[in-house]
Amino acid sequence: MIDERKLEILTESAKYDVSCSSSGSGRTNRPGGLGNAAAGGICHSFTPDGRCISLLKILMSNECLYDCEYCPNRRSADVPRARLTPDEICELTINFYKRNYIEGLFLSSAVFDSPDKTMELLCETVTKLRKVYNFNGYIHVKGIPHSDSALMMKAAHAADRMSYNIELPSERSLKLLAPQKSKQSLLLPMRGLKEAIDYDRINKVRKNKVIPAGQTTQMIIGASPESDGQILKLTEALYRSMDLKRVYYSSYIPVVKSNKLPAVGAGLLREHRLYQADWLIRFYGFDVDEICAENENLSFDYDPKCAWALKNMQYFPVEINTAPLAMLLRVPGIGAKGAYKICEARKFGKLDFDNLAKMRIVLKRAKHFITCNGKFYGSDSIAQVKASLMLESGEESRTQLSMFSDSSTSLSALTGEL
Amino acid sequence: MKIFITDGGSYSFFTAVFDAYSERECVITSDENVQMSFGNEIVNVGTDFEKCARVQKKIAACDPSAVDDILIVLRSRDNLKEQAAFEYIKRLIEKKSPISRAFNLPEVIIFDELKHKVTGEVHKMTGFLRFMESDSGAFYAPYSPDNDITDLLMPHFAARFREERFVIHDIGRKIAGIYDGHEWIMSYAGEAEVYLSEYETVFRTLWKKYYRAVNIKERPHEKQMKGYMPVRYWKFLPEKKDG
Repeated sequence: MIDERKLEILTESAKYDVSCSSSGSGRTNRPGGLGNAAAGGICHSFTPDGRCISLLKILMSNECLYDCEYCPNRRSADVPRARLTPDEICELTINFYKRNYIEGLFLSSAVFDSPDKTMELLCETVTKLRKVYNFNGYIHVKGIPHSDSALMMKAAHAADRMSYNIELPSERSLKLLAPQKSKQSLLLPMRGLKEAIDYDRINKVRKNKVIPAGQTTQMIIGASPESDGQILKLTEALYRSMDLKRVYYSSYIPVVKSNKLPAVGAGLLREHRLYQADWLIRFYGFDVDEICAENENLSFDYDPKCAWALKNMQYFPVEINTAPLAMLLRVPGIGAKGAYKICEARKFGKLDFDNLAKMRIVLKRAKHFITCNGKFYGSDSIAQVKASLMLESGEESRTQLSMFSDSSTSLSALTGEL
Repeated sequence: MKIFITDGGSYSFFTAVFDAYSERECVITSDENVQMSFGNEIVNVGTDFEKCARVQKKIAACDPSAVDDILIVLRSRDNLKEQAAFEYIKRLIEKKSPISRAFNLPEVIIFDELKHKVTGEVHKMTGFLRFMESDSGAFYAPYSPDNDITDLLMPHFAARFREERFVIHDIGRKIAGIYDGHEWIMSYAGEAEVYLSEYETVFRTLWKKYYRAVNIKERPHEKQMKGYMPVRYWKFLPEKKDG
């Protein structure tokens, strides 16, 4: 049986990892097996920080060879260390799963002994979970940079999702802050996984596909000087060239004292704005260039869609009853769901503001950018529009920043497996 | 005005729809505590399978998926569910073609909201249901959902657990879904006495430790937690219980 204290140490070390989604895989159960995956993902609990628990998120070990500047588990740090065996992890996963505590396992590790040895044990764990424990629930496993590609492929056949973390938004910052890792050691395996996924798709492989839920990555924001524009460009390139499912951002918190790191944190608002921009790129048909120029940062005052709309008032107001879906998606305050509802509903008759309100379309921001049957209820003064949009953002930034302000007491935002 | 009172089941509801359809103004409800007033005529509706079949056939001719949608809405705990479904049926038959996406119609919005409350709770419970292992090796999950959804949850867990026996017990409605490793059935279930397996408390404790360790204390956001995981569900979650 697993030791309570070990579980605590290895959970504490993993908790800052931002990805915990269990979506994207429709793995089915087998005779004699336990579990399956739900394509939409399932949240099993929520912690007091408002985040969801979907997977059992732990490190195999937090004993690390590397000395990444920002990481609390770096070799030179004085923190309690622990390591779990593959069987301990399997047993815990199975027993949590049977009680419906979790949707599956998110396994990661600090680099102990050697990259190959670490990857080998991660691989052994997930393969054992599938073959010996006959577990068919969701598995997300971290790839260890500089480890053998055969091990990576073995893990990819057992897992639903894998991720190699890009860590920092530029090669220069990586060299400065995580000198034992290199751009190539991260991008090469990502490319390898992409090619394996492509191979399965092209050859219509049905059984035993590699990572059906694809790959994701994660990077730290604000520990290095890159602008939001650069970060988003990189994000877009990763989506396009690597077919990533998600790029996660993790805002930097200054805990580790170092002259190579900034003294102040990036703040949750910056992270939030980047996610908003990321959503616009993936679901709303925006190009990065429209949202943020290469060397600029996103506005703190307005969300990126509002900021874009204010700069492009010539496109507005749009008529709700006739505007194409692509344009409805660009209206501040109307989300993907709202735009879909409007498109469906207007087939049955003309919509007025009352209809929109009943359909639960929030008009507070949208009213400045739309007409219904030619009627306009927004403000004609751009200054007034700006003021009303900004007021909201102002409130948001206050709460966001106050949540963040006591970061000095925080253990850290970043972990060894990043 | 006539008030049609059903027995709460779907057959009785469809029978009531048949009888009520020709009325100019009427209400269908399963709520026995409906407000009485002079001038109202109470009609208790039984089950007439022929009427049921005719109503369902008529509905299906307008929209093949509407009967399933109605059966979901009828599981709602909302007292107005029968009336909402009735208004929806009347409008559907008037339009003669699917209206499930006609979000400009008030009947559709009300019906759609009830439907989403039910399906939304089913989805939430696929995550929030908690099983405990009994000394016989079977797993037992007590809960108290807002809507009558136990039989909708059974296929999900039967596919997952496959060879494990389990029981999902709706304490409030006194019904349970029972799966024996092959098939599941629904049954009446009053009080249940469960003897826990040897390791049950060990894993429960580990889960609580995990829950506490994975939280980032420095970034409290209780409002969001409660928004996603309503407090009324907490009494069945070991991680939200003291000790």
